[in-house]
Amino acid sequence: MKRFSPALLVIYPLLIFFSIVTLVPFAWMLCAAFKSNADFFNSLFLPQGSGFLGIAWDRLTLANFSKLFGELGMMRATMNSVFLASTTALLGTIGGAMGGYALAKFEFRGRKWMTRLILGAMVIPGPLLMAPGYQLMFNLGLLDTYAGMLLPAIAPAFGIFLFRQSILNSVPMDLIEAARIDGAGEIRIFATMVLPIVRPMIGAFLMITFLGTWNNFIGPQILFQSPEKFPLSVAINSLKGVYSQDYGMLMAGTLVSIAPILVLFLMLQKEFIAGLTAGSVKG
Amino acid sequence: MSKSRTPSITPWLFLAPFLVTFAVFTIYPLSQSFVLSFQQTFGPRSTVPVGFENFRYLFTDPLFWIALKNTTLFTLGSLCVQLPLSLGLALLLNRPELKGRSLFRLIFFAPSLVGLVFVGMIFSLIFEKRTGLLNVVIHSIIPQFPLEFPWLQNYVMLALIIAALWLYVGFNMIYFLAALQNVPGELVESAGIDGAGPWDRFVHVTLPHIMPVAGFVVLLSILGSFQLFELPFVLLGGSGPENRGLTLVMYLYNTGFVTGDLGYASAIGWVLALILASVAIVQRRISRKGEE
Amino acid sequence: MLDWLRNFSLGVWALIGLALVSSVYLVTRPTASSSDHAFWVFARLHFQAYEPFIREWNEKTPEMRIEPLLVSLPAMERRLFSGFMSGTPMADLFEITQNVTARLISGPAEDIGLRDLTDLLKAEGLLDAINPPSFSPWTLRGRIYGLPHDVHPVLLTYRSDLVEAAGIDVNEIETWEDFVRVMWPLQRTGGAGGEDRYLLNMWQTNSELLPVLMLQAGGGFFDANLRPVLDSEVNAMVMATIATWCTGPKRIAIDAPEFSASGNALKIRGQVVAAIMPDWLAGVWKTDIPGLSGKLKLMPLPAWTKGGRRTSVMGGTMMGFNKKVSEEVFREQWKFAQFLYRSPALAAEMFRRSMIIPPDRNLWSLPVFDEPDPYFSGQPAGRLFIEQAPDVPLRVSSPFFNGANEQSGQALLRLVEYANANGVYTVEGLLPKSRELLAEAQAQLKRQMERNVFMREAQ
Repeated sequence: MKRFSPALLVIYPLLIFFSIVTLVPFAWMLCAAFKSNADFFNSLFLPQGSGFLGIAWDRLTLANFSKLFGELGMMRATMNSVFLASTTALLGTIGGAMGGYALAKFEFRGRKWMTRLILGAMVIPGPLLMAPGYQLMFNLGLLDTYAGMLLPAIAPAFGIFLFRQSILNSVPMDLIEAARIDGAGEIRIFATMVLPIVRPMIGAFLMITFLGTWNNFIGPQILFQSPEKFPLSVAINSLKGVYSQDYGMLMAGTLVSIAPILVLFLMLQKEFIAGLTAGSVKG
Repeated sequence: MSKSRTPSITPWLFLAPFLVTFAVFTIYPLSQSFVLSFQQTFGPRSTVPVGFENFRYLFTDPLFWIALKNTTLFTLGSLCVQLPLSLGLALLLNRPELKGRSLFRLIFFAPSLVGLVFVGMIFSLIFEKRTGLLNVVIHSIIPQFPLEFPWLQNYVMLALIIAALWLYVGFNMIYFLAALQNVPGELVESAGIDGAGPWDRFVHVTLPHIMPVAGFVVLLSILGSFQLFELPFVLLGGSGPENRGLTLVMYLYNTGFVTGDLGYASAIGWVLALILASVAIVQRRISRKGEE
Repeated sequence: MLDWLRNFSLGVWALIGLALVSSVYLVTRPTASSSDHAFWVFARLHFQAYEPFIREWNEKTPEMRIEPLLVSLPAMERRLFSGFMSGTPMADLFEITQNVTARLISGPAEDIGLRDLTDLLKAEGLLDAINPPSFSPWTLRGRIYGLPHDVHPVLLTYRSDLVEAAGIDVNEIETWEDFVRVMWPLQRTGGAGGEDRYLLNMWQTNSELLPVLMLQAGGGFFDANLRPVLDSEVNAMVMATIATWCTGPKRIAIDAPEFSASGNALKIRGQVVAAIMPDWLAGVWKTDIPGLSGKLKLMPLPAWTKGGRRTSVMGGTMMGFNKKVSEEVFREQWKFAQFLYRSPALAAEMFRRSMIIPPDRNLWSLPVFDEPDPYFSGQPAGRLFIEQAPDVPLRVSSPFFNGANEQSGQALLRLVEYANANGVYTVEGLLPKSRELLAEAQAQLKRQMERNVFMREAQ
């Protein structure tokens, strides 16, 4: 029932205030992407001038973007990012769901230890593995290959953890039991009964993994040797020069990097939020 | 006990992808880094076993303690500021009569979509003296506030907490929103009818119900904050003056990849992993107690 | 079946679709096979400038095709480390900076993965043709491991419009003391409203300029045997002087950092009179601060003592060669390096793009260096930098450079704090504390160095 509560009079302004605070850096980045380097240091947001609203609209430029895609081949980098992020997301989700299912709906010896192992895996600091990891990739012949990025991500511990929570909470044991007694194969049960129920978590984890992989830059920077394989995050970061900074291009690159994520998020929003929270509500 | 005829190997089959990749890509390098932590390497090609020397040095290494102090301060500061703010925002948004909820939700969540590297870049410009956005805005509201306020030189921790705030408040807010939505509305209402004011309702009805989620969010925040690296690295271009921005993982990275002593870096990494593990265990114990 | 498929949301299908589309894209555009010899470059500027020349080389010498790759410096460092340490794939040639080289040439000679170029350089007369100080950062125990890319002499740039309008003659400035005295009329302390003006772009947190000034004065972090000498008298004097610039009644310093919006705004608004400028920084200012064109001039750095050195050095890049490459292949690649680094056309191009002067003395007579530079009010900027090139101080490359820089930076900060806390603002007054702080820094650094098993062996 929609009633107008007086509390809203306080709440709306507060929310709007916080929204503005949150959006300001975005607005700033948007302006910076369209400014030339000289203007970058001159004005905070948009260059002052004699145009509409006192802004020099004519000094805004698309040069940064054309440079990015023309000169610097960002299209390829973008495709690399799309490929890596989407494939990792799909693989990670399947692997995570499988592992989570095993931990949630099976009674077996070693279950407790496996669960502890998963939790432990979540606290390992990444940088610890960087150096020996590089070595390993070389020995396996996976250096500078896409497979080298994809294989380690097949069944992430965090994914297994989330799916375990989610399956524990939302899939009734009786359902599974009944199916098992009926003689249904495990894969069948998994695919036709479990997955549909945890659909929100699937959406959520896809999004999380896609996001994480999309923004990941230390990993690809270490693994990939040929520039054609660089994803967007590495490519943009390499725009930072030692002798100078092309801020406009950096910000334009950032914008290009953020846009696809935003779109994907809009599509997966509902499930993402539902799934994320399903994994946390019953700790 | 289960009465089904599922062979007991099935769960292991489902876990197989994890087990294989974990063994190859995590356990193996981990064991190597364990070995490394008892060695000293310097530059290319030189490795020498040194026993416990790395760990002994670690305890007297002033830089390690600075890093530990900074990281802990950041974690505590973040927790104390971020969580109440996330919770507060969630409370604000948790009203069915509020129009534009999804829009607000999207807006607050948007920062977490931006990569850390970019956040560092953007904020390094926002925190600048004299022309940085923050100083300009604050100065125009409070003229006594010095335009030259040296965020990135003297108030590094504060700057980091603010940047992390912008990044993660929305993310944590989502968790809290979901938790709040699970609080049975009737309980809250009946408490209200019983004469409890909004604050009492919050503390005695709402809060206990969201405890599990709060615990989860706290754990994630602690784990994430302790591993802070890219943000200060990009924001300060290193560890900042007098190492005010040095975090544990940054120290690990510098030692291993800048100085070239992978052995000592591995030792630091292991100590960090131990700290994280202890924190996680303690937090689980506390939250389990709280649930009882 | 269809029902089951409907279980998955739009988002899932979008992702699957994306994965497919991108895979197709990538598969149909296979990456070039790297049978060429890789040349790793970290500076975009260099990369762009080299491209036409590399193309020319590849056309003339198809049997030794060089493939340039832009790799960020940290990534390159990691790969070189890993390559030397464990044989992971590496480029044949690479451009690296002083810091990276320092770490690669530490340790026993057999372990150094860089090719020793000393004899070759001697045989081809390059030790004379190239500005001698440019070799110093790549030299260890008398052996040279890199082909220098630059010199990076340091000058002082100043606002000629402000200085000349005030009737100040910069020829009267010989030492830093002179600088403070002669330029003082332009100093306007106090008020952050934008009317203040300071003589020098410097700050107690600017630890990068510390070694530059110390080297100029004859100090520095390490001696020729790579032993730390942070606590030398010269260093203490330099640090005490810098402290008096940063605080106290004779403060002349303002924090206008490079590569920052606030720093550049300050410069444009005329709140900075002079700045310490290596050649590459001139290039940066031209690109980032075009508004100052015609308002600046260059002059040699004020010396620390009468008749003292009037320049310093900041930064440095070299080309290194992978030792493992066969002798034949290396010969060809050496030719390529000569082709690139000694090309007059490339030198002129680099200078035009970035103001970086080449280390090859034969190239110094190129007319491009004498061209009047409108940015610097018509001065022949190239010639001015080249004039100081032979005087550029020698440097040693220690892998502990970063540690030394950190410690000394900290010492400077603490010295300024001490000055403020005790109201001591003269060089003589601060000298004892300066010595003390540097001695502490030295002790800390030594501790770090001593724990290193390899350093002990090398000595």
